[in-house]
Amino acid sequence: MRSDRRSRLPIAGFHRRLACVCALVFSLVGCAEKPPADDPDAVADYEQTNDPLEPTNRVFYAVNNGVDTVILRPLALTYGAVVPRPVRTGVRNVLTNLGSPIQLANDLMEAKPKRAGDTAMRFLLNTTVGLLGVFDVATSMGYPDHDADFGMTLASWGVPEGPFLFLPVLGPSDPRDAIGFGVDRVIDPFMWIGNGNIPAIHDLKWAWFSLNAISARERLEDPIQQIKKTALDPYATFRSLYRQHRAAQIETMKADSSGTVPAYSKKTSD
Amino acid sequence: MIRRRTILSLLGSMALMPIAVRQSKASPEKATAFLKVVGDRLIGVINSGGNAQVRRSALTQILNETVDVDGIAKFCLGRFWRTASAEQQKAYTALFHEVLVTNISTKLGEYKGVSYTIGRARADGDTDVVSTVVERPNNPPTNVDWVIAEVGASPRIVDVLAEGTSLRLTQRQDYASYLQHNNNNVDALIGAMKTQLAQAG
Repeated sequence: MRSDRRSRLPIAGFHRRLACVCALVFSLVGCAEKPPADDPDAVADYEQTNDPLEPTNRVFYAVNNGVDTVILRPLALTYGAVVPRPVRTGVRNVLTNLGSPIQLANDLMEAKPKRAGDTAMRFLLNTTVGLLGVFDVATSMGYPDHDADFGMTLASWGVPEGPFLFLPVLGPSDPRDAIGFGVDRVIDPFMWIGNGNIPAIHDLKWAWFSLNAISARERLEDPIQQIKKTALDPYATFRSLYRQHRAAQIETMKADSSGTVPAYSKKTSD
Repeated sequence: MIRRRTILSLLGSMALMPIAVRQSKASPEKATAFLKVVGDRLIGVINSGGNAQVRRSALTQILNETVDVDGIAKFCLGRFWRTASAEQQKAYTALFHEVLVTNISTKLGEYKGVSYTIGRARADGDTDVVSTVVERPNNPPTNVDWVIAEVGASPRIVDVLAEGTSLRLTQRQDYASYLQHNNNNVDALIGAMKTQLAQAG
């Protein structure tokens, strides 16, 4: 029985329970009230904000804040204080390198061959010359990093972002990015390696997830504190920043057509 | 006579048109030169060893001379600017200046040793967008775009885009949400800004 449980994806059981809790809270809290039609400015604001589940989202925001204050932030601060900066950079590089297969798959699905080539070269160089990804040697060799995930892939296929969502644990999102997150986990080859009877690998994956969260939180400490200090409504500020940041990532991806058409072909077509 | 005057004024306005168009039309080269001056002045303040009060007053002067703070303040209040009374607009704009200076000056210490490189500049409607890469010691480089427009015949920064996120749009949505949850009452916003300033010390 024990090996059965371990043979599942490591986050599957947790997510199932999470989904039940989400469904419960969504049914209890409900939706934001749409302003009356005779106030066109307010209606325009409501539509632009596109956050019909705001009351529910704010509940999850408060829950996440609580979890962050009690668990994640103390861990991240300890990590930042105890682990020297070069080691933290190395950890971040290893984690980024481990994400290369997902990145490559999405580069290809976004029809960005140049980006896919960059990702493949980065993985090859950083895994070998960069000593299993500890050092990012590829950037200085002309293969810079870029963002690619299934949420962005869906955007490149024309899927709209949908209403804003604040998800437990995962934080700011939208249906497109939430689906993207799930698909990225499933297409990650590392997720499937040793998905049998090897408890050590199962534990290693949990360590990987945890370290990823702690490392990311440690890097975001300054901006998060700054927003909480200066924003009158931090929830609305995080919502705005998340949306704008995602839009900018997608825009950069779409605009990056370098190398997708050979130079000689461009000249003849001009 | 009237007709002649009309024709003359028409001709005169036509002759002036290219100049007027040229004045309002964006000029990426001019914007880049302007930004270089602003950037160097800011870095001078950041790396100066003066006390906090001196640096704050130097920063205030730079912001007033190079940033369209009044325009940004108006933008950030969005649709509520129209419904606010003249007194509310005045009080809000004054507080906005203070909040902006306070928010930036509390961050100045973290930017010690900062450097920047100016990248390409492009015209975007009536504005110019100058791209820069800002590097801080022990931090990954950040892409910062500066949106510059002609305000009263001189160039002014009207927005800053940090990694694609517009600072004035983010601020506007923060205020809009605050107002929405406080009965659209501009006085409540003014009160909150006052509290924020008092807390910042």
